Amino acid sequence: MTTDTESPTTAARSADPAPPRRRIGFTGRMMAPGIALLAALTVLPFVTIVVMSFSEVHLLGGLSLDFAGLSNWARFFTDPEMGWFWLRTALYFVLTLGLEMVLGVLLALCVWRLIRGRNLVLSMLLLPMFVAPVLVGLLGRFLVDPTIGLYSWLLEQLGYGGDVLGGTFSAFAAVVAMDVWEWTPLIALITLAGLTSVPLPLREAAALDGAGRWQTLRHIVLPSISNVLLVALLIRAMDAIRYFDIIWVTTNGGPANATKIVPVRLYETAFRFFDFGYAAVIGLAMLLASIVIARTFVRMLDRKGLAR
Amino acid sequence: MVDPKPAAVSRRRLLTGTLAGGAALAGGGVLSGCSTRQDVRRHDTADPWRQFAGCTLNFVSENTAPTSAIAAEAQRFTELTGIHINIVTLELSALVQKVALDLASGQSQYQVLYADSYQVLAPYAEGLVDLREPAGDPSLPGETSRFDEFVPLQMDVSGRFGDGERVLALPYDCATMIWQYRKDLFETYHERMAADLGFDPTPGPQRTWEEYFRIAKWFNDNVDEVAYGTGHQAKQHDSLMCDFSNVLFAHGGQYFPDGERVGRYGAVDPGACQLDSDAALEAAEFYRRLLSVADPASRTWDWTGVGAAFAAGRVAMCPNWHEFAADNERALPGKVGYAALPSGPVKSANMYGGAGIAINGNTAPNERKAAWLFLNWATSRRTQLRNLTGEVGGATPTLSSIYQLPEVRSAQQRPTDMPTMLTAPAVQRAWQPEYSGMRPKIPMWSECDTAIYTELSRMLAGDATSAQAMRDTTKQVDRIVSRGWVAAR
Repeated sequence: MTTDTESPTTAARSADPAPPRRRIGFTGRMMAPGIALLAALTVLPFVTIVVMSFSEVHLLGGLSLDFAGLSNWARFFTDPEMGWFWLRTALYFVLTLGLEMVLGVLLALCVWRLIRGRNLVLSMLLLPMFVAPVLVGLLGRFLVDPTIGLYSWLLEQLGYGGDVLGGTFSAFAAVVAMDVWEWTPLIALITLAGLTSVPLPLREAAALDGAGRWQTLRHIVLPSISNVLLVALLIRAMDAIRYFDIIWVTTNGGPANATKIVPVRLYETAFRFFDFGYAAVIGLAMLLASIVIARTFVRMLDRKGLAR
Repeated sequence: MVDPKPAAVSRRRLLTGTLAGGAALAGGGVLSGCSTRQDVRRHDTADPWRQFAGCTLNFVSENTAPTSAIAAEAQRFTELTGIHINIVTLELSALVQKVALDLASGQSQYQVLYADSYQVLAPYAEGLVDLREPAGDPSLPGETSRFDEFVPLQMDVSGRFGDGERVLALPYDCATMIWQYRKDLFETYHERMAADLGFDPTPGPQRTWEEYFRIAKWFNDNVDEVAYGTGHQAKQHDSLMCDFSNVLFAHGGQYFPDGERVGRYGAVDPGACQLDSDAALEAAEFYRRLLSVADPASRTWDWTGVGAAFAAGRVAMCPNWHEFAADNERALPGKVGYAALPSGPVKSANMYGGAGIAINGNTAPNERKAAWLFLNWATSRRTQLRNLTGEVGGATPTLSSIYQLPEVRSAQQRPTDMPTMLTAPAVQRAWQPEYSGMRPKIPMWSECDTAIYTELSRMLAGDATSAQAMRDTTKQVDRIVSRGWVAAR
């Protein structure tokens, strides 16, 4: 036999008068203009893109939208090329981030060890970071130009006769290298900031306990700066997923689509083919990927109690 | 009892309102019509050129030689008409974006547009003014019969779209691909080359592409002055399609049925792609073979890249746009020759890549008339001649009559202060229908173009055979064409 009983807590709760509905008070009203501006800058474009993803977008005689149902989304999931673009993006993402983290930490450790001339070395190290990505692309293109490029000439002296941007593998490696060259200094800078905060007594204690350099690095230094590294990873990850300039300037996505990643495809779809409906779908997919990556890192930070 | 917080808005309502507002703005296209522009004032004056004095026109153009020349002469237009002209020059893809977004705004921030035949004229034909209207207006200088003064091929390709008689642009820029070669090297090695190859190697349409291939190989093996015999613009870029198209048309291949008509006049529905035909497969295989003996760096060069390599003395010859003649003469004075491209089994085809100058269809009536004055002046005989001889120079006339002038005819021989005119015999031949090559003028060309050069790039990288590349391209182009042109529907 079963009987329906109401738990005392529930009963007590239902007996309470309904809580007052929360309203926006004075503070909220003061913040309203700012929030409205923020909404105009974020909510409006977002809603527009969602609407566009379900529409055919016409340009002539003023922007107009025709409802297209799920056709743009269906095309996204059946586009034979799209899977390759995402795969290439993922590979590019892992390679650039991985190399930048490893090289950035190594460089930071070297600079950290420097006693004399640290500021000078650090200043020189940071220079690539201040160059606009499009200029990095142009610089890279000139350096590997087979007619006038310094790197091409050096590679030729070393016995590499091919054209760097002409081969599928070498072109991909080249654009990865250009990004790594530009952004490794940022990781080094952030890491260096973390390294300077590693407590000296802790390192001295480790040294007294007989810890070698590798052991100190592995058990004292790296755990101490792991939070900083995570922040660096988050910053670079958000940037790497929308990488565009260098590829557009150097290879245009080629050869044989070897360097065509999703942002390049998005740009092409929107601003070469003017197919804004389909471009909106690709853009939303990129947004989703960014959110997933960002959430992953934020959750990791949260676990360490650093997100708030 | 008075509610102490009567005006309070719930958080949910605020969010809902914001979303609804956003949706309304997004869905209704409210953004496109936020403001209205006033038309320019028309003055009563006896001089028809000065009736819009005081107004300002904006002209957006690709950064090409004619626009540099026009910009240098713009003050003369202002003196003649009293109209101020602002010229914005951009790289082609940036220009196309500006034009598309300006048309989408429903306004006319740019009244005068550089109308690339494939990326502006074909896709946005409905957004351009039919120039017969201002040309037929008796209150304005100029007349419709003037259209016949332009080189006929240029008038059709750069000025018209579809089967109608409408004139949407005036020919303004007439880039044409021709054979550019090291005349000095061809002269030095002429006898040896002729003896080894068994034919007269003098460049011209009497040569075949197969002979071009053998000449290139001969240079690779026998001449130290250049690193390679031939260079090409085979980067994964529009340039690759242009370079390949010369070979394709020469072999009798075409992109769509009735390719001549689709190339010259344009079409919205061009029919099924023909790139899987035997002629196209043969052309693709030849092109792959040609690139195997070309400078390997060709796969990273667009037209600028191959132009720079040629001027640097890296290659002995290349197919490239005739406008590079000025750079060639600066780098290799007196050493470069120009000819129509070699023939294939069917013809010698020289890709025409000209553009027109058009009026934005969103312009107000008087603004449109003022814009016509600029078009009229910019393409006039006097201005074109000045652009040819002026300090900036470099532009190539689009009016047939200019080529008959004695000073222009004499400039076709060295020494000359009009280096572009050294190419005149070659390009004039290339503008004859039997020597011309025109890519399809269809609204969705940019996407088709991307599919074509991507597959060609795959073929050159060894990721696909020539037949596979052509068949895959055919499928993609058919898919793109069947989707139709959305942006201007």
